[in-house]
Amino acid sequence: MRTRVELRAARRGRARSALALACAVALASVVARGPAGAAPLAHREVLANGIVVLVAERPAVPIVAVRVLTRAGAVYDPADRAGLANLTGAVLTRGTAKRTGPELDSAIEFVGGSVEAGTGRDTITVSMTAQKKDLALGLDLVSEVVLTPTFPEAEVARKVSEIQAAIKRSEEDPGTVAARALGRLVFDGHPYGRPVEGTRESVARLTRDDVVKFYRERARPDTTIIAVVGAITVDEARREIMARFGSWARPADPPATVAAATSPATAREETVKRELTQTTIMFGRQAIVQTDPDYFPMAVASYVLGGGSASRLYTRVREESGLAYAVFSWVAPWRHGASFAVSAQTRTAEAPKVVAMIREELARMGREPVADRELALAKQYLIGSFPLRLDTSGKVADFLVAVEDRGLGLDYADRYKERIGKVTAADIQRVAVKYFPPGAFSLVIVGETK
Amino acid sequence: MRIAIVLLLLVSLLVPSSARAADRVVAATLDNGLRVLLLEDPRSPIVSFQVWYRVGSRNEHRGSTGIAHFLEHLMFKGTPSHGPKQFARLVEENGGQDNAFTSQDVTSYYVDIAADKLDLLIDLEADRMQNLLLDPKEITSEREVVIEERRTRTEDDPGGFLGEEVSSIAFKAHPYGAPIIGWMDDIKRVTPDEIRAFYKTYYVPNNAIVVAVGAFRAADALEKIKKRFGRIPRGKATPPMLAVEPAQNGERRVVVKKQAELPIVYMAWHVPNHRSDDAAALEVLSTILAGGRASRLYRDLVYQRQLALEAGGDNSYFSIDPNLFWFWATPMPGQTPEKLETELSAHMERLKTEPVTDEELARAKNQLEAAFVYQDDSIHQRASLLARFELIGGFALKDSFLAKIRAVTAADLTRVARTWFVPERKSVGVLVPKS
Repeated sequence: MRTRVELRAARRGRARSALALACAVALASVVARGPAGAAPLAHREVLANGIVVLVAERPAVPIVAVRVLTRAGAVYDPADRAGLANLTGAVLTRGTAKRTGPELDSAIEFVGGSVEAGTGRDTITVSMTAQKKDLALGLDLVSEVVLTPTFPEAEVARKVSEIQAAIKRSEEDPGTVAARALGRLVFDGHPYGRPVEGTRESVARLTRDDVVKFYRERARPDTTIIAVVGAITVDEARREIMARFGSWARPADPPATVAAATSPATAREETVKRELTQTTIMFGRQAIVQTDPDYFPMAVASYVLGGGSASRLYTRVREESGLAYAVFSWVAPWRHGASFAVSAQTRTAEAPKVVAMIREELARMGREPVADRELALAKQYLIGSFPLRLDTSGKVADFLVAVEDRGLGLDYADRYKERIGKVTAADIQRVAVKYFPPGAFSLVIVGETK
Repeated sequence: MRIAIVLLLLVSLLVPSSARAADRVVAATLDNGLRVLLLEDPRSPIVSFQVWYRVGSRNEHRGSTGIAHFLEHLMFKGTPSHGPKQFARLVEENGGQDNAFTSQDVTSYYVDIAADKLDLLIDLEADRMQNLLLDPKEITSEREVVIEERRTRTEDDPGGFLGEEVSSIAFKAHPYGAPIIGWMDDIKRVTPDEIRAFYKTYYVPNNAIVVAVGAFRAADALEKIKKRFGRIPRGKATPPMLAVEPAQNGERRVVVKKQAELPIVYMAWHVPNHRSDDAAALEVLSTILAGGRASRLYRDLVYQRQLALEAGGDNSYFSIDPNLFWFWATPMPGQTPEKLETELSAHMERLKTEPVTDEELARAKNQLEAAFVYQDDSIHQRASLLARFELIGGFALKDSFLAKIRAVTAADLTRVARTWFVPERKSVGVLVPKS
């Protein structure tokens, strides 16, 4: 909200920009793991039509969180229709065979619950939270939204102008501007290089027919994952889900595939001029997905470099030099590719110095092994903070659908802990030599330029 | 996005955990005045350990604004026994997540961590309550970090900049008119001696609340807290904040021209806080206006007429002193801030003359009540909420909060709107994008 009344310190280096929030979410989905030796994180079964259902019982608090993830994200946007998946997600809750959008809003908000749809690079996810007593209503609404959306013409037009305005407004946020430009450079030639929300021009071209066709082709039971978490038993959840989603017919043709992202031939630099007192610096390159064995050393390497308030970048750029409030690095793994990025905001006069510091620290990661204490701290943090990633029903539900979508398996929690625990200084150096040469990074600068 | 933010706000500010929870809180006041609230929650092997100091920008003076927030940064810069950076290192090495925030009224530090690390946290927090180094060299370096923070939040953020301007015209005597982060020249000027004096004055056990929720035995935790924090001597009573905002005689207005893509409109009315009999009605009114997509501002301005990209409102229930009820709107491209201001005012006028519907009233109450229940799912939020109620008079107040909400009638809302949303209480801010 705009009338901020608290200043929350960015000790973990995550500023409040949209980008930083997205990073936090991505990171959370990476480091979450199951408690060692605990019962499986969730019950899993596959319905006859291909839907994967995941259920975790958390009986203490009388609420239920539901996520319905479908592989219908922006990566499937036709090249000349950037923003189509995002528009589809935005209109999904705006009318069903039974209810108008406002009727749906009133129904769920009357019981203090929420039904939202969100679009990412790979997926559209419908999220519902309600008290246990209102579960039937909540699930009715979710199933209507997923199975019988009507995409009314007027609602499509409304969302088109709303999204265009939001894109326009986001141009005043330097973090968003930088992330958008960097995405284009890092994923040049791959759909990940286009912004999920599209551009004002590409969104202007989208029609209701595009939306209807996109959803008809992409939303299908065999690319859908449903997580139900909270005050509910496995039997109850299975029954409720079967009753609503069991007869969703699986199409005969196989689901669409997407080519994996490959690194562009050359790193590039781009400067975006803005009248600001700070300069936003963002380095990025392609990285590796979670199924790659090198993913674990890379996660630890990123944490040592710029993951927390003991990291090298935080120490050098913020604590020792007072050059930035926010400076951090992160790995963002998706289904068909991944990126690794480093970001900082500093007063404009010092931007060249911070750029140089980041380059030096990237190079140092490959030049010399990390110290024992740095390695231990990073591993202990990544392993030890796991339970905090799964301490609410909503977080558990998000984790379950993400793990299933990426094909990591419900034992990923335990495997993650084991693999992180085995990472050595030599592993980190090997991965850093391969992925952290400063010359391999594209760079975006947003701010006053000469 | 707007919806999510509004709901988040409801969850984070308004809503205590279940009514019976207070029965299970173990509360104690140590001999040195430290207030301790403990709640067992064994669902996950974790604990949220929080220390809340009753000091914020409210306790600052002209010329040294931002000192409470500056000190918050310096609380991570070490003591003789835990040197600079050791606090963060120890927390991370033990798999914990720490952070802090400063508000107008309070400064809060928290760590969420595995429950078996509670002893470590007790030791670290007790240590920095009493023994902070405040090394001038660290202060010099951290000053630059705070300045960068101000650039990010205010100088380069149109909404942040406008909010600061509106607060500053709404309050001319009370410190709520100054920004929490402080004016730029004050941040640059404030001295290590002033910061040390501020620390000595306000970081005393008799001005702090320790709250922990998680997988521990409350009796054991209390003994440990008594043993470690109990060694810290009671400080002098903190100086009272004496400023009282005088009555406003007419509408106030500020216009800011700044590089931005879209205009912004803020409207802020002086309203009473939790102490007033009207406080619960203001909460309900805020929810009817801005709580979700079925709320009036969203449904009319964003959805039906598409005049705004976003529009909302927020009450200041937990404020220590009477504060502002905020309204805001971002006009859609092609719409003017004047139009949005007129429309926001029209919604307020309608509340004065026309009772809300039974459905609207019931929905707002249900939303507030459900948010109570959701809150219970997170140990961190449970702890924060106990602290917030403790700060305004006692954690047990949260048990009566919902009853007050349920008692609000449509006639109350009409009366409250007529009483408080008058021109003599209003400040308006408009951000005009610089072409």
